[in-house]
Amino acid sequence: MSDVGRGVVFDLGYKPHEGERLGQRGAIAAVVKDGVRRVLGIRRKARKKVIPWVLVAIAIIPAIVAVGLAIFLEGFAVDTPEALDHAGYFDTTSTIALLFTALAAPELLVPDRTQGVLAMYASRPLTTRDYLLARAGALSIVVLGFMLLPQVLLYVGKAAVSSDGFFPALGADVDVLGKVLVTALAFLATYATVAFVVAAFANRVSAAAAIFIGVMIGSNIMALILVETAAFAGSRWSALLAIANHPGVIRDWVFDTFTENPLSEADLPQVASLLAIIVLVVVGAFVVYRRYRRLV
Amino acid sequence: MVETKGLGHAYGDIVALSGVDLEVPSGRVGLVGANGAGKTTLLKILLGILSPSRGSVRVMDADVATDPLEVRSRVGYMPEGSCLPLEQSAADFVAYAAELAGIPAKAARQRASDVLTLVGLHEERFRFLGDFSTGMKQRANLAQAIVHDPDLVLLDEPTAGLDPDGRAEMLDLIGRLREFGIDIIVSSHVLTDIERTCDWVVMLDGGKVLRTGPLSGLVETGVIELQVMGDPEPVATMLQAAGAHVELNDDTLFIEHDGAATLVRDALVEAGAGVRRMQHRSTTLEDIFLGNEPRPDRDAPAEVQTASDAPELPPGPGLAPLERAPNRKRRKAGDS
Repeated sequence: MSDVGRGVVFDLGYKPHEGERLGQRGAIAAVVKDGVRRVLGIRRKARKKVIPWVLVAIAIIPAIVAVGLAIFLEGFAVDTPEALDHAGYFDTTSTIALLFTALAAPELLVPDRTQGVLAMYASRPLTTRDYLLARAGALSIVVLGFMLLPQVLLYVGKAAVSSDGFFPALGADVDVLGKVLVTALAFLATYATVAFVVAAFANRVSAAAAIFIGVMIGSNIMALILVETAAFAGSRWSALLAIANHPGVIRDWVFDTFTENPLSEADLPQVASLLAIIVLVVVGAFVVYRRYRRLV
Repeated sequence: MVETKGLGHAYGDIVALSGVDLEVPSGRVGLVGANGAGKTTLLKILLGILSPSRGSVRVMDADVATDPLEVRSRVGYMPEGSCLPLEQSAADFVAYAAELAGIPAKAARQRASDVLTLVGLHEERFRFLGDFSTGMKQRANLAQAIVHDPDLVLLDEPTAGLDPDGRAEMLDLIGRLREFGIDIIVSSHVLTDIERTCDWVVMLDGGKVLRTGPLSGLVETGVIELQVMGDPEPVATMLQAAGAHVELNDDTLFIEHDGAATLVRDALVEAGAGVRRMQHRSTTLEDIFLGNEPRPDRDAPAEVQTASDAPELPPGPGLAPLERAPNRKRRKAGDS
């Protein structure tokens, strides 16, 4: 029998890696990339993609509609809609960010812990601090992404309908970008810290999400009750318990607006909210780090 | 490959390791011991995951205490139990494991594909890990441990939970790692797994090293078993006269001497006896671990010993008495 036409299988065997190794830097970048994919459901089952992309759409579509409407109404010489207001748009995105963080933070931490994946991380050139910072970085990229993207759309949209012309309007309003960034960071720092602390101790993603939302709503209710009913000296400071409202105070401070909430009702200085957020982040980071040091 | 000096570790009041001095060469090393002997603790210390309470550790010439990340970039680890994210495909996970070890993304995907083929998961590489069987998960677990081409891989109970076929396949895979230039340290309480895959053994018991050395040195007793045609007594007498430690059990002679083979040859010629069977007597790790090593002075019934007045020989390198933890039950000789 002729050998012509017969396939030949070559066993190439094991090939050692002789290329570049990126070390700790590469490991951290990999954790960040994996985190972004995970919270957006990329390369995961279809059901993991639904909620994050619906939330992203809810955050961005109003901005697109508002800008489109403004451009449309411009032709009719009607005032631009209030939805183009940067401070006001945070009312929409902050709620979406709260829901998104409630799901994303546990998704980043809980499965790694409950499925034993931390043992694999521990065998790589990566410290506990690297892992946690990389996970926080992944959450920050996505949350900031969909808090800032609609704001950038609004910024460009307002410039597009400005009577001063597109580029002059962009330049004249550039300071608003800094305000938007500071406000978004305040929301991110507050939400992510609480969500990470809850996720560090929860064993189920859904339970962690529910507890996080419960803490955010519950603390506000408790603060409101204490502010309105407590009669002891300095009881107005109990308004600081309204964790979810601190970023809103920062927004009001930055944009010079006013929102009614337990903190404004207690007439606390705005800097108190800034300090509260900083203390929350420091204490939360310490608690999460301590928790993970014991787990490896 | 691995060097420890005075290594100790405790979890609160519970001492996991105590005074562990090791000098382990490159190759396939088996770490054996009962559950709680300190195997996993030792592996975690070798990786720098745990800091030892006392002593020092060097792995691949790197100090684990001062440079744990350097050690981890050159070492792979297959932990006991699953370490797999169930909602990720095998290809994605193993590529991610490679990137975590510093391999660039493109090379990581190629290596993931190659290594999954190597462990027999090529067809299943795009399936989600949550849909894998136990055996497939263990293979994926091994794949993540070697995907970054480590110099050394630490395998903690790699056959745990596998059926006999899966266990045999996993042991074959582990045996092949040395062909790829990867040294291995396998931790197991299944002693036959270690006998099958390793050429150096470290025995741990109660956090201390019972024995360490080449497998051949541990399982070979230095004793020759001999059956001759006809009466063995004249041969035994001649061997004793030549200085060998000889015992007779039924029709079998047990001869212990550094040059036993030469003495046997001479005695057979002098006695004019034919050989029916002659072989080195070996033991198993299980017998060593349980203190049931076949020793002529222990196994042979007292009434048939013919060498009671022979001088006591010092034990060979593989026959040092077992120093064991007080809580371990010692099986009596003859127990099955």
